[in-house]
Order: sequence, then structure tokens, then C-alpha cells
Amino acid sequence: MSIHTDADMSAISRLLQFTDSTFPVGTFSFSNGLETASFEHLVHDAPTLHAFTASQALQAAYSDGVAALHAHRAFLRGDYDAIAEADRMLILFKMNDEARMMLKRMGKKFAELMAKLFSNDIVSRWLQDIKEEKVPGTFPVAQGIAYAAAGVDEKALFCAHQYGVINMVLSATLRCVRVSHYETQKILFDLSENVEKLYEEASQMELKDMNAFFPELDILASLHEKGNMRMFMN
Amino acid sequence: MIKNDRFKTSSVPEVDFSSAREMQRYLQEPEQMYVGAPGKHGYLRLGFELDSDGKSILRDIDRRVPLIAQQELYFDEEMPQMPCLYILSSGGPNVDGDRYQQDITVRKNALAWISTGAATKLAEMRYNYSGMIQNIVLEEGAYLEFMPEPIYPCRHTRFISDTRICVDSSATLFYSEIYMGGRKYYKEGELFEYDILSVCSHGERPDGEQLFREKFVIDPNVTPVRQLGIMGRFDVFANVIVMTPKAHADKIYESTEAFIDRDKMIACGITHLPNDAGLLFKVLGMEPGPVKKIVRDFCSRVRQQVKGHPVPPEFPWR
Repeated sequence: MSIHTDADMSAISRLLQFTDSTFPVGTFSFSNGLETASFEHLVHDAPTLHAFTASQALQAAYSDGVAALHAHRAFLRGDYDAIAEADRMLILFKMNDEARMMLKRMGKKFAELMAKLFSNDIVSRWLQDIKEEKVPGTFPVAQGIAYAAAGVDEKALFCAHQYGVINMVLSATLRCVRVSHYETQKILFDLSENVEKLYEEASQMELKDMNAFFPELDILASLHEKGNMRMFMN
Repeated sequence: MIKNDRFKTSSVPEVDFSSAREMQRYLQEPEQMYVGAPGKHGYLRLGFELDSDGKSILRDIDRRVPLIAQQELYFDEEMPQMPCLYILSSGGPNVDGDRYQQDITVRKNALAWISTGAATKLAEMRYNYSGMIQNIVLEEGAYLEFMPEPIYPCRHTRFISDTRICVDSSATLFYSEIYMGGRKYYKEGELFEYDILSVCSHGERPDGEQLFREKFVIDPNVTPVRQLGIMGRFDVFANVIVMTPKAHADKIYESTEAFIDRDKMIACGITHLPNDAGLLFKVLGMEPGPVKKIVRDFCSRVRQQVKGHPVPPEFPWR
């Protein structure tokens, strides 16, 4: 296998930085209802974990992924209104209360970090609008802005977004499902094969085309939201 | 492509899904009656309001075949002041190239209950698709329970719907949809063999403020429907939108349990809609009966909170 890329080396370095677990909003553990899925014995081994994680990745691809791509393109056009539109449309589309909270908290945190990293009018304006509650400030839109500002192209953004979702679940898994690091790495490796196909579809979507049909995940998220069975203080 | 527009059903709004990218594969004009032909372009306009005595009545009705609205009746024993209406279709199942629109308005402080006379069948299709637009408007203090019978997609069904819900912040809407996986007991079984279901519901306030937008596109040829997290082992899915003032929504949320019953294979969950618009309730099950019961019980909880009355037991023949 050979890997060839024309991306400049600073862009690749930024990509590595933004997806690193030491980056404050890089990769991290968020269970997405995994404790509940484990308790309900829906996720109990590597194959069931693979399916659960694949659903999470698919769900994110046609919603968060679409918003991130639109924000990335809007940033490159210098179109602030389109960034705000992607941000607002994503929150309208997010049906789960906890998911909305997570996206907003992480988005604001990323925006604050961006303001330290980049000297850019769009970044400054977006952070100000988040603080004044003029825009929701969602994490995928923050990703779109940051990756565009760092010179990372939209395919790499989409890969980073998918990697983040998959890794988020798998990191949490090691705390509540009896699987090994070898198995979680194999799942991550295998699911990465789907990213190109998901990008082909997501990259063609308008914001109005965002869609998600994951009723079993929704019910697990609801059980998680109403219950006290949780590993992390969200 | 759509070619016949000379004889389209007149004086009713066009049902236009030309911008829906997921239906672009299904634009072939039917060999049978063309898209928009009289009899294939159903329209229904219903307007409920208070009369001079303060009684909720069906004031406006306009319809085009095959949609039919029955005479409103006052059969709800817990709320006898509420008009109850069944929507029927004289055309049998939805077929290739059918287009429907339903505009329902409940004016200030009026009440209404709407259902369908039987399940909605979406026939096997070879050409084009069936589409439906709904506009549901609730004015100040209005109350509507919209609880139709389940929807059955068949093999190669293509169906798209767009439901715009405009609700005043003081009004309450209970809006449910139940989707079967298919004709489970037909021949060897026909589950998730349809081509596509695309369902979008979006809520807004009268001033145009957008509140939420839920869209799901199920294409079993592409979507791994049986995957854990999607339908898993379940066959029936219900989606319920409740738009109601926040104080009501918070109490309904607190009193509603989310659960997964692995023995009875039934599960439900609830969450808050964005922008304090209300609640979203989802049910998964194996057969329509138990799912309908959970939806009805949830409606009863909503009605009890908002109107102080439960929903009466379902008719034994329903």
C-alpha cells in the first residue's frame, strides 16, 4: 500500500494535533448510551460492539458530517451567514437533548481554543455570537471552521470527524464491555473502510437533506438520559 | 419524467417533491394514470373552530378524490365536546405516482381528534413514487390529537412525506405515526423489502421561528435496517411528536418511563425537542397492537396533563 498526498506538511500536522487525545476537544470518551446498551446486553462482545459503533458512525455521517462539510466550504468562501446556517440547522435536527448539550459545550470549547490558535475574523465573530447566544456553536461546525482555517481539506475533515465518533465510543467501551484493545483497534480499522463511501454521499447533501433513522439508538439515549447509569458526568 | 400537466387536478396546491434528492431515482412516469391525474391527486382541507356557543366544530372542509373526511362525531366519552373525525381514501392503497396533501387547521381554543378509518397501505410500485404533504396549524390555545392507524409499506414501495407543523406556543399537538416493516405475514413474509421511505416533520411558531426538523430516510437496499441501533430485531416503529408548552412537557417527561422489555420485545424512549418545542416519543415493537397501545397510553398521559382527562379505552374492533 502506498500513501500519496499533496497536502502540505503543516496541514497534516494540524490534522494530527486536532485529533489527538491530548487536544482538549480532540478525541475523547463519550459513551453515547453505551452503558445502557451494555446493561441491556445489546452490546456484550466484539461483533455487537462493531454493529453499535457502525450505527453511531452512520448516524453522525449524514448529520454532523454534512454540517461540518458545509461549515468548511462556507469558511473557505468567507461566507459567515452560511456557517451560522449550518450551525442552526444542525441543532434543529438534533433530537436528543444530551446530544445537543454535548455538541454545544464542545463547540464552544473548540471555538475558544480556535481563537487562541488563529487570528481570523470569522473565528472571532463565531465565538462572539456563541457567547451572545446568536448561534448555537456546535462541535461539527467548529471542526469545519478549524480544519478549513488550518488548511486541511474537506476529505480529511470528514475522516477526522468519523475517526472522532468511532474512537469516542471505542474508548468508552474499554470501561464497560469485555473486549480487548486488539478488538477495539480491529473495529476502528475495519470501520475506517466505510468512510469513503459515507463521504461520497454526505458531500452531495444539502443541509435540508440531513437525515437519521436510528430508533434503537434513540431509545438507548433516552434510557441513558432518564437514568442514573452513567460513567461520565456530561 | 413527469410529462402530463394538461389535466392535473385543478384548484388544489401542487405536491412538489422535485428537490428531494433521495427520490431522484424514482421519477419515471407511470405507464398507468399519470402523476397528478384526477383521482391520483388527493387533497383535504379541514378547519376546526369554536362556534358562537363555544363548541368545537368542523367549520371548513374541502376535498378531492380519493381523500374523504367522514362526518365529525362526538364519541369520545372523556371529552364529548371534542369533534372526532376519520380520514379515509376511496382509492385503496397509495400507488405509483399518487400525490396527496392534507391541510389541517385548529383555530383558537378549539379541539379536534383525527384518525384514519383503517391502516394506510402503500402498494408495490414499479414507476415513480407516492408523496404526501401535510400542513398542520394550531392557533392559540388549540388542541389536536392526530393518531392515525399504522402505515404498511409493501415490496418496492417508494414513499415520501413532508409535514409542516405550525403551533402557537400556548397550543398542544399530539402527532403520531406508526410504520410497519411491511406485510409480515404475506406469503413468506415481507419485511423491509420496500425501496424507500423518506419522512420529514418540521415544527415552527406562527412568527416563522424554526423549532425542529426531523428527517429519516430508510432505504433497506442501502441502510442495514437490522443493524443494532437501527431497528435491530424489531419490526414496528412509532414516532410521536408532542408540541406543548414547556410546563406541560416537563411534567409529561417526568411521568413517562423509557424502557426496553426484552421478554415482550417492546421498547420506548422519550426526549425533549429542540427549542422547548415539546417532546419526541419513540416506540419499537414486533406487532402493531402493543405499539398502538403504548402510543395511546402516552396520548392519555398528554391529555391528562393538558386537559385533565384520560383517553378512553380503544374500541374493541380497532
